[in-house]
Amino acid sequence: MNTPLTHAGAERRHFLKVSSTATAGLSLGFFVPERANAAETPQLNVWVEIEANDIIIIRYARAEMGQGSMTSAPMIIAEELDADWKKVRVEYATAHENLRTKRAYGDMASVGSRTIRNSQEYLRKAGATAREMLVAAAAQQWGVPASECKASLNKVTHAASKRSLSYGQLAAAAAKLEAPKEVKLKDPKDWTIIGKPIPRIDIPDIVTGRIKYGIDTQLPGMLHAAVAACPVFNGKVKSMDASKVENRRGIVKVLNMGEFVAVVADNWWRAKEALREVSVDWDVGEHGTLSSAAIMTHFKAGMEQADLAVARNDGNAPEALGKAVKVIEADYFTPYLAHATMEPMVCTAWLQGDQLEVWSSTQNPEGTLAVSAATAGIPQANVKVHPVQLGGGLGRKSPQDFTRQAVMIAKAMAGKPVKMLWTREEEIQHGLYRPASLMRFKAGMDASGKVDALHIRVSAPSILATLLKLPLPKGIDGQAVASFNDHPYDIPNTLVDYAQRNTNVPVGFWRSVGHSQNPFGRECFIDELALAAGKDPVAFRLDMLPNNEKSKRDRSILEAVTKAAGWGSKLPAGVFRGVAETEGYGSWTACVCEVSVNAKNEVKIHRVVIGIDPGYAVNPDNIVAQFQGSVVHGLTAIFWGENTIKEGRVEQSNFHDYRMMRLNEMPKVEVVIAPTGGFWGGVGEPAQAPLAPALVNAISAAMGKRIRSLPLKNHGLSLVKA
Amino acid sequence: MSVSDAYAPSRRRWLQHSASLGLAWATVQASSAYAQKMESGELKTLAQMISPITQGAKLLQQDVSISAPVLADNGSLVQLGVHVQSPMTVQDHVTHLYLLSQRNPVTRMAVFHMGPWNGRAEINTRVRLAGTQAVVALARLSSGEFRYAQADIIVTESACVDAS
Amino acid sequence: MNLARMQWPERIVAGDVVKVRLLVQHPMDTGYLQDLLGKMVPRNVIRLLTCKLGAREVLRVEPSSGLAANPLFEFFVRATETVEMHVEWIDDRGNRGEHKQTMIVLPTVS
Repeated sequence: MNTPLTHAGAERRHFLKVSSTATAGLSLGFFVPERANAAETPQLNVWVEIEANDIIIIRYARAEMGQGSMTSAPMIIAEELDADWKKVRVEYATAHENLRTKRAYGDMASVGSRTIRNSQEYLRKAGATAREMLVAAAAQQWGVPASECKASLNKVTHAASKRSLSYGQLAAAAAKLEAPKEVKLKDPKDWTIIGKPIPRIDIPDIVTGRIKYGIDTQLPGMLHAAVAACPVFNGKVKSMDASKVENRRGIVKVLNMGEFVAVVADNWWRAKEALREVSVDWDVGEHGTLSSAAIMTHFKAGMEQADLAVARNDGNAPEALGKAVKVIEADYFTPYLAHATMEPMVCTAWLQGDQLEVWSSTQNPEGTLAVSAATAGIPQANVKVHPVQLGGGLGRKSPQDFTRQAVMIAKAMAGKPVKMLWTREEEIQHGLYRPASLMRFKAGMDASGKVDALHIRVSAPSILATLLKLPLPKGIDGQAVASFNDHPYDIPNTLVDYAQRNTNVPVGFWRSVGHSQNPFGRECFIDELALAAGKDPVAFRLDMLPNNEKSKRDRSILEAVTKAAGWGSKLPAGVFRGVAETEGYGSWTACVCEVSVNAKNEVKIHRVVIGIDPGYAVNPDNIVAQFQGSVVHGLTAIFWGENTIKEGRVEQSNFHDYRMMRLNEMPKVEVVIAPTGGFWGGVGEPAQAPLAPALVNAISAAMGKRIRSLPLKNHGLSLVKA
Repeated sequence: MSVSDAYAPSRRRWLQHSASLGLAWATVQASSAYAQKMESGELKTLAQMISPITQGAKLLQQDVSISAPVLADNGSLVQLGVHVQSPMTVQDHVTHLYLLSQRNPVTRMAVFHMGPWNGRAEINTRVRLAGTQAVVALARLSSGEFRYAQADIIVTESACVDAS
Repeated sequence: MNLARMQWPERIVAGDVVKVRLLVQHPMDTGYLQDLLGKMVPRNVIRLLTCKLGAREVLRVEPSSGLAANPLFEFFVRATETVEMHVEWIDDRGNRGEHKQTMIVLPTVS
């Protein structure tokens, strides 16, 4: 398929014009890549435009990487707008529009499971404001008070005189009215769209292959670039010999960019194959000897460091530990992890004079705009960032390292569009890895099994200090101690400290960041304490949760999930359960796993019961999908995920040695959605947190011995279909 | 004159002007609810940034213009230019120019001492910004009065930990 | 070792208000970053920088860790006569730096 990518906006010179009847041909509810009549459509505010034929265009200002907020966010606007969802189409807002309108769309980054919870208020207001304007327009036309008119399902009705007008009929007049300063938002009990399991609007196009991911970008005369950076991180090109490939058919240019080399060709296969035969002499600096063993030594040294940064210090943990009747200690370890998004890093850039267009699979289009402008050396107003669907983001596609590369190449090929695509090997070996982390737990118990002292020490790299170069005046990286410094348990003497141990391996945000590893350590250690106290793990946790407002939600999700899992009921012989509960990204989650482990150390996962209290569940079907997907991603990491370092470089390179879960290994996943209302919590990442500890607790129970590090393959464990 | 008398007039002025300062903070303050959980530092109020320097002296939000990108690609190197409308004569000139950060661990990014010999009250430099925040350029005039301007700068790379 | 560079327009006439661009080489270490050996790189920033035009101080800057590494300063001075620009700075460790450069100023055409 070679259809040119289209985009909304005035610039149409390189694309085929889509006729104005295009909306009729599009699947219902789907997003509009281009509207020929965009300039004439009445705009009620930056979020809502309504066509004369009653179709509502709702703007979506974040990225869509399979998390489904491209459907949920417009649902929120449609709710307050009292729109007929069947008549809603979604169109992207762009970073350049956002810049031009002084950020009328606000933050556009899809990170931190924040899209819904951070934007819900202004999205609701936008929908309500547009609704009020439509009602006012109808009231004016009829000469009746607005209070006598009601908006519902794309219509404004005046019951007393039995008159009604459609939004399409009212749009032009409404768009001329002044927006009300104050609007009243609906009570959640009156919601008719929010809370419904509405199918994602991009499903038909995904299923039929019409969807356009960044990797599908096609432009007339487009060139393709394959790149390779130094296999040892932070190395540079000393010299490059491209003589073997320079004059090959289809090879346009071979570029030495200092930090990487690029082959530009007329198709990507040629570029990639030629790149393999470019010989590069890399200057690896002092980092060519780094190994996983050396990194572990470095982390262990951190454990013994004096003057550690303190993240939490209640009471006097060292003293209480010294007096405790029983002391339990354990070290836990989690490895570096590459993201392995299905779509590798890809970015298309076209520099024409001092005008730049970029099509990037990015979670942060404003970041793309800023970095593109800086790299090209042009004003930000000259950059257009065209939105595309992402084939997975997972936190890897929020940083702009690959954008910079693409724009540098585009600059060198000035005038020609260039699509730069990483190989899988490049993606796995040039990641921004989840930091490996060494965690030490020490707890003190009294004779009755009550925990009254807890000391958690983390020795790990800091993403904030190294990737973002943020100052850490107290020395604490919140991600490194996430779920430790804010643990919910009533333990009067709690000390959490942190040794910042950076290495030459670059680190970044892996889905759920600190919550993808710290809860594993914490909730597994809590189980060790329950065992030592001779108590049931669920009862032990409930006992330790204080009886206050704050812990209400920890209790309620733990109870909801354990109830759904039938915790306490009899299990068949050889089947064991494990549990975990966590809070993160504004939501509360819990998980129960049922497993059996045979003599060959093969693990069968009989059930995964995983639940969330996100406050309000905007689209329950999407939450189920997100959680099922999180389990695939999570189990993959738990069983096999690790990136090891040898001679300064990552050893793994593709899916043969960085294994993904297979379809036939997938266990049954039951998702419990238990919204308690009153707040808006994130959904994209929280599921990672309780999964690993619940599973490992079950496996540890089955094996009669504690597992304290991931991945499980290193313990000889494998996964088989239950 | 008792201590409280000496204080009273300037304290009243301080309360008045800090109340008016609150209004200017609408855009950035709106995100302060999330600010408390942010990794990259709490957001200070305008009063917290400015009052220790002005100490109740007359303060007007005018005559100062900041040139900075709306979107900064990274927080380690952000261009920041400030120009103060001033004749820069012996009788009327800028004596100090303060670059203030809303979120950095150190609020006073830099202080520039100037005088009529500069001819033009304009400074350009490069700052580090610990995440999306407002920056304030505060000028002290030879009259003892202050002038200021504020600019919101989005540090795009720290979107992951900012909560704006 | 020249740790600073200063630039201004080539042709300056007395009375001109001249833009001076000063770039100083200095890491401006914040003190918040651990190096790869596990040691905190101690804070070391320029804490005072002055620029004199002849005998008169025309710029005094009190930087902080909030200024980017290799600090850049652009400022203005009234040119009166050919004079030596003398920049001096001192950092937290007590290291001093300086740079001298003569600014040629043509007399006003009467």
